[in-house]
Amino acid sequence: MSMLSYIPFVYPLQSVYAWWYVLLIPLALGISVVWKAIRVPDFNDYWRQVVAMTIQIVLAMIGLALLLALFVQVVIPRLPVDMS
Amino acid sequence: MTSDVSDTSTQPELRPLAGILAWAWPGLGHISIGQKRRGVLIMAGMLFMILTGLFAGGLDSVDRREDRLWFIAQAGCGPVAFVLDIANQSMLKAGRPPTDPARLNTVSMGRPNEMGTLFIALAGLMNVIVVLDAAFFDPKRSAGEAPERMRRRRSDRRPAKTPDDDTSDNQTESNEAAPDDA
Repeated sequence: MSMLSYIPFVYPLQSVYAWWYVLLIPLALGISVVWKAIRVPDFNDYWRQVVAMTIQIVLAMIGLALLLALFVQVVIPRLPVDMS
Repeated sequence: MTSDVSDTSTQPELRPLAGILAWAWPGLGHISIGQKRRGVLIMAGMLFMILTGLFAGGLDSVDRREDRLWFIAQAGCGPVAFVLDIANQSMLKAGRPPTDPARLNTVSMGRPNEMGTLFIALAGLMNVIVVLDAAFFDPKRSAGEAPERMRRRRSDRRPAKTPDDDTSDNQTESNEAAPDDA
């Protein structure tokens, strides 16, 4: 598909293949906007709470990814192999 | 005896119309019960997630036939998901066999499809929470009253008050926060 025939929101964005993980940030932001809109009793501190929740989600995901990578790259190769 | 009566009066009541409206269009349920700002923010957040999903994965992110389980989650978005599915089936897939090169160029596969599907499915699941919140909305929240545990913490810090003082305090809080959604 050439760029000339590309229609946004109808055809997929091909460059997502390379940077799909960056989409975690808008995903976390969207969830935070909706969740905080439901939960906060008043809106004085709303956007600060949204940003804080977004950062928490992204950091938690990065932490989980690092733990998983550690497990797959370091722990699993050291497990004893039963050759019998 | 008096405290029992006041406890039952603070139970959130069921608002079926607000729940239906919240499903029909995200945020509309809260707007219908006077929570205009809450409703607008919910609407903005949901549309942001749906549009970002469509932008990444295209129309093929919503597919009732090929991604049936995902579509169950996406259906939480309401009629929007069904309209997107109809558009997908009629614009991208109608009359084209799966091996047609023209179809392969327009449908999304791999990461774009995964991310688009995930965005809209999460939007649908969030909207289920929104529907429940609109249907069982507690008006005390809009009056700026803190949850029970925060109230308990506050009362631990403050010196003991008479019941009359507590009533006047709550009234002041309500009057201060109420104009938000007026």
